[in-house]
Amino acid sequence: MSTRRHLRGAALVAATAAAGLGLAACGGGQGAGTADGGGSGGKATTIKLVAAEYSKDHTKAFWDQFAQAYKTKTGNTLQVQIVSWDDIDQQSSTMVQNNNPPDILNLNAYASYAKDDLLYSSDEVLSDSVKSDLLEAFVKSGTYNGKMYGMPDLSSARAMFYNKTLFKEAGIAEPPKTWAEFEADAQKIKDLGKGNIGYGLPLGPEEAQGEFSIWLFNNGGDWKKDGKWSINSPENVETLTFLKTLAAKKLTQNNPGKTNRQDAFDLFASGKVGMVVGFSPLAGTLDKDKKVDYGVAPMPTKAEGGEPQTFGVTDYLMAFKKKGNQDAVKAFYDLYYQKDQVNQFIKAEGFLPVTKSGIQEFSSDAALKTYLETLPNAHLTPTDDPTWDKVKLAVQQNLGTAITGDPKAVLDKLQQSAEAGG
Amino acid sequence: MTQPIGAGAGAVGGPAAPAPAAPSSPAEPVGGRRRTARRRHTSGVSGWIALLWLAPALALVLGVVVWPAVELVRASLSRYSITGLRKGDAGLDNFRNVLANDSLTTVLTNTVVWVVAVVALTILISLGVAQFLTKEFWGRRIVRWAVIVPWAASLVITARLFSLIYSYYYGTLNAVLLKLHVIDTPIDFIGSDRLIMPSMIVVGVFVSIPFTAYVFVAGLNAIPGDVYEAARIDGASAWQTWRQITLPLLRPAILVATVLNMIYVFNSFPIIYTLNESNPGFGHDTTITFMYKLAFKSAEKDVGQSAAAGLFNVCLILVAVLVYLRVSSWREEES
Repeated sequence: MSTRRHLRGAALVAATAAAGLGLAACGGGQGAGTADGGGSGGKATTIKLVAAEYSKDHTKAFWDQFAQAYKTKTGNTLQVQIVSWDDIDQQSSTMVQNNNPPDILNLNAYASYAKDDLLYSSDEVLSDSVKSDLLEAFVKSGTYNGKMYGMPDLSSARAMFYNKTLFKEAGIAEPPKTWAEFEADAQKIKDLGKGNIGYGLPLGPEEAQGEFSIWLFNNGGDWKKDGKWSINSPENVETLTFLKTLAAKKLTQNNPGKTNRQDAFDLFASGKVGMVVGFSPLAGTLDKDKKVDYGVAPMPTKAEGGEPQTFGVTDYLMAFKKKGNQDAVKAFYDLYYQKDQVNQFIKAEGFLPVTKSGIQEFSSDAALKTYLETLPNAHLTPTDDPTWDKVKLAVQQNLGTAITGDPKAVLDKLQQSAEAGG
Repeated sequence: MTQPIGAGAGAVGGPAAPAPAAPSSPAEPVGGRRRTARRRHTSGVSGWIALLWLAPALALVLGVVVWPAVELVRASLSRYSITGLRKGDAGLDNFRNVLANDSLTTVLTNTVVWVVAVVALTILISLGVAQFLTKEFWGRRIVRWAVIVPWAASLVITARLFSLIYSYYYGTLNAVLLKLHVIDTPIDFIGSDRLIMPSMIVVGVFVSIPFTAYVFVAGLNAIPGDVYEAARIDGASAWQTWRQITLPLLRPAILVATVLNMIYVFNSFPIIYTLNESNPGFGHDTTITFMYKLAFKSAEKDVGQSAAAGLFNVCLILVAVLVYLRVSSWREEES
């Protein structure tokens, strides 16, 4: 009897260990495909692209068509793997960990990879004509330690979206130009009752750094100034305190520290929110739904008569140094930055151009006017600093706590970790 | 009055021994295979042929259990860049860093609350559900099928569904409560620091009940009818019958269900991860989601630390199960 029980116990323990280890280990191993096709004479004829999924409808369609064109033009094969934004950090990390990175990776960060000496610089894989066509702001953000490693694939710029119907009902003539006007307008919309929300404020972990960025840029703040971290500068503390006050006065949706960007967009699209910071893909959704009559305006500034600042974002296509793949990779970039390719992609996904020729091509589109004018002067987050890759995550996981906590303490802590190297 | 029943319970001590065979079958193959292998070796019957037959299973165990475990240990002792590039040996730094993490206490407390609450509630409710399912009634087959559904559905889908049910602005739960005038303003089930854990526990219990209830149904079916008949003749009340016959005879099933549930619930990732998607920080994470976030979502973004946390997790659940087995068999000895 006792041995039987003992055995049963042993079996259970063994099963436990198996279950525990199985789960713990599943982080490794998955998602790594066979990347390097056998090349003749040491030259790769098959390269692999891991691309982020911007939209279900267009991303895969574009890259499939691109792979065709690449094959026709170069004779090389391009394997395409599309990964959702939720998984791409994990997948790319696993691939590098298993010493099996793709040849081209599409991601919102590159500097850490450049720091680890995994990437080709633009000198090695970008033709001069291509590089000179890229917008200065993006060349700058793609440059780490004097060399460009992060080639921009597309960009976006933020602006203030407002609900014209709600503005009319609340008797607001035009979108706010200063923070004081903004607060008053939000109050007016809230006072309409019926569950209307003045401002959709997303400080949840999805993209807290984006929402905070555009506000702090319009208060003269920045993440880094003169090469030094300035996360807890007086302007930034003031900005975060202002956002906290909005929440305390109930001018925002419920629980803004725990609202993700997509949730705020959904609320705006339901017609209950007066204002939200959005970008062109949101406009695309709203145009398709035809439910909300909206306008797009520059951001309000803290100071009276200030120049509205915009927050720009670009994602990157980086190339991993692998034996024999340099020519194939260079051919990839040559094709991607051809006007009909890069702009076709950007148009389909509803983003903004990254090239000078692209700005020219898009300038005829009236809906994009607000963004295009500001794009060359857009402020970006310091993606050229590898430390930012960690600071960004820290911001995402902590900024929202300032809504119920102390804004200065939260920023002080972020500053500290940034100075310590992330 | 009590004496005959006590005697009855003593008498069924015999049948209690064969009973575990049915419910403990999920864990049986491991023990069974080991035993056979050992016997073959000792008796000297052509070891090579035995090995041939065992090879597929052994290969599976090596590939699925041993190799990942070795990799895990290796990763936990390595220093990784944020990109996932291995930069060299880390010694025990990863373990030290995990233990020094500010949020560790919160995470451990969350884990204990989560596992204890979900397992205890699951066992309690499943006992009732199982009694219900073993009764004869019209449409029992349909009810039995219905109980399986939450088990059959993917956890991610269930969790996503619940985040919609709980939602502050669009949630069906809030809509119903508002319509019934139970509340005036919506309740923030997953945004409130106070309510998120109970909300998660409800989902955890919901998905754990089917398996547990079916283990108990099997256990109840294994109890011979004559024991109940004897109790009835002796004039035992319904409560006495349940307390002194059903419950003791169900002990093996309860033991197995508890241990397996502890493991499942401890390792449960989708519910906690999905319902916490918009909550910053580690405030409501258990050790499993903590491990994942360490590797990919937090400022640490460190595969090595995550692997170290993974090893801690294995030890944690092993110790918990051992302690539980020790405590429960000790009680068996006493009674």
